[in-house]
Amino acid sequence: MTRHTVQVRPTPEPGTEPVFWGVDCGSAEIKIAAIDSTGRILELRKGRTLFPLVEHVHRALSGSAEALSPLAEEQRAVTPDEGTELAARAGHVIYATGYGRNHIKGVHGSLTEIKAHFLGVQHQLELDRDYTIIDIGGQDSKVIRSTPERVDQFAINRKCAAGTGAYIEELAHRLEVPMDRLPGLARKHDSDLTLNSYCTVFSGQEVIKLLMHGERVENLIQALYRSVVKRVLEMTAIDTDTLVFSGGVLEHHEILVPLFAERFDQIETIMAPNAQFCGALGAAVHAMKETQDHGLSHHH
Amino acid sequence: MTETSAPNIKQVMRDYFLDLDAAARDPGRRVAWCTSVGPAEVLRAMGFEVYFPENHGAMLGATRVAGDTIPVANARGYSPEICSYLTSDVGACIKGITPLTKAYGIESVPKPDVLVYCTNQCKDVMHWFNWYAREWKVPVIGIHPPNHLPEVEREHIDDVVIQYRKMIEQLEAITGEPLDEQALKAAVAESRTATDLWSDALNMARAKPAPMSFFDSTIYMGPIVVLRGDRRATDYYRGLVAELKAKVAAGEGAVAGERLRVYWEGMPIWGRLRHLSELFASQHAAVVASTYCNSWIFSDFDGDRPLESMAEAYLKIFINRDDGYKESYIERVVGDFDIDGVVYHAARTCPNNTNSHYNLPQRLKNKGIPGIVVDGDLNDLRCFSDEQSTTLVEAFLETL
Ligand code: SF4
Repeated sequence: MTRHTVQVRPTPEPGTEPVFWGVDCGSAEIKIAAIDSTGRILELRKGRTLFPLVEHVHRALSGSAEALSPLAEEQRAVTPDEGTELAARAGHVIYATGYGRNHIKGVHGSLTEIKAHFLGVQHQLELDRDYTIIDIGGQDSKVIRSTPERVDQFAINRKCAAGTGAYIEELAHRLEVPMDRLPGLARKHDSDLTLNSYCTVFSGQEVIKLLMHGERVENLIQALYRSVVKRVLEMTAIDTDTLVFSGGVLEHHEILVPLFAERFDQIETIMAPNAQFCGALGAAVHAMKETQDHGLSHHH
Repeated sequence: MTETSAPNIKQVMRDYFLDLDAAARDPGRRVAWCTSVGPAEVLRAMGFEVYFPENHGAMLGATRVAGDTIPVANARGYSPEICSYLTSDVGACIKGITPLTKAYGIESVPKPDVLVYCTNQCKDVMHWFNWYAREWKVPVIGIHPPNHLPEVEREHIDDVVIQYRKMIEQLEAITGEPLDEQALKAAVAESRTATDLWSDALNMARAKPAPMSFFDSTIYMGPIVVLRGDRRATDYYRGLVAELKAKVAAGEGAVAGERLRVYWEGMPIWGRLRHLSELFASQHAAVVASTYCNSWIFSDFDGDRPLESMAEAYLKIFINRDDGYKESYIERVVGDFDIDGVVYHAARTCPNNTNSHYNLPQRLKNKGIPGIVVDGDLNDLRCFSDEQSTTLVEAFLETL
């Protein structure tokens, strides 16, 4: 597997140049990325998704590095809407993505996670061939077939959360194992079990039944990971020679990557740099491109 | 919509239902129930007022009453996996409610003298009508044409005509009068005029920007569903075509700043029409054509050979054709309307109107027609996720 790292550029002096922000407002976490007008990453940060949403997004945007805040001036005194206007004046542009994208007032525009992940990946990897992005998130997983220029086709998991972070979380809960211990335990498996159910809740029942029969927890955890891989690969056919992994779940459970690779002969697998921030970065890249192409227009 | 002297859709539908209600209460008049693409012209020619349970099903969905009535039918042994028009309608009957009460002050759906279904669309209608036949002890007549045809051939038509003749005998026994051939010719001719006008109206959406969208058409199509063979439908569509012509001339689009043109394949999601209409509009995408609304174009009706032409027209409907026909049909409409992409609705409880299950979208994509599949249902909103589908549709429109 190829692994990439990206240098985060040192913070510029406040107000000296435009900054482009991407907010990826997911079901569990709000992720923030900022880039400069050459596309270099200035900042990556995240916080939990809490409500009221807009307030928390703006809090996440302002972050701790006050000098970089798009809402730097009089941060404490401004309402979210005024905040973005200030941001615009100060040369900051903010785009939103993720499930919350349409609920965040005051941003300059929004895009879907599909496009955002593609842009975030392509911006960092600059691939020159067709590839497939597998992005596993908290509530959904996506398979995105991309060319270097654009999203060609995509699939999102359908009705059930099977194959997503929520699925792993649910089963970890059933097994009474903390999430961060899952990969370590899975490495100690000694047989390859299969969970059959398509449904998260029914998978939980399968797990309980196997536990009752005295199955080792290590083997169940391995089965759980294999099941995630299976559910994701069932979504659509993969016909590219390169697979790129993105999203928070894959970053935290890298053990999934070889399990994906195992299912193909001769495929290149790449863990995207800053995998869990690819969506936010993509939104920032989109903010930059839109501004450079059309200038700044206030959408909301 | 500009004011014209043409009849207005709300008034047309109100008059239709009030008249139907009056007929159901009048011992001197008769009511027949008919499936949406069943032989309505014969029933009309024989003096029946005709009621369409599928139209009632759509009302149950659009008013979201279906959410309360589907589980009632489920509890009586009608699976949540079968037609949710059926389950919402049967559930409403068991509960003794109807959206007609709120809309028109009508107490209940009109009790039928006879039930007539045709399985050119699906077999669920048979089970549906049989429920009422048992419940109310009303005679039920079924037409069972050959299904899923690549081509409609002479023998298929003859088969259906034979069934029509048998049906007519049974109906004559109910009315006590022979079928008036002239009245049938007139009804079929009237249907033809109306359906031609409906086709003209839909074709107006070839204009850029399109003057009406799928979401408008699902409402405007009311009369061609419930008033085929009746003068009132013809009058209504004459007015509609004139209105749309004026809009095209004025360059008025249904969606502000039309940027993309979309084809909707499959059933409407009745309880979310507003949400979806706003979603597409927010992306400046106009849904300019659909399989569903086009299903009420019957260009084969011919007043001079009424039964044969009815058989032909009702056999040729999209839903009763094979996959190869469907593929070339969608391809043609996509070309005619200059469409950028297709949204396929996989309706959980209606596999009959779902065409994304056997890789049709992939085949069309290989021909350069991109598409996306949205999971949902006509009436059962438990099968539909707003968030998932919003992301799907937005992301799809982004890729176009
Ligand atoms: S075609 Fe579908 S929606 Fe219509 S009656 Fe049959 S199953 Fe129901």
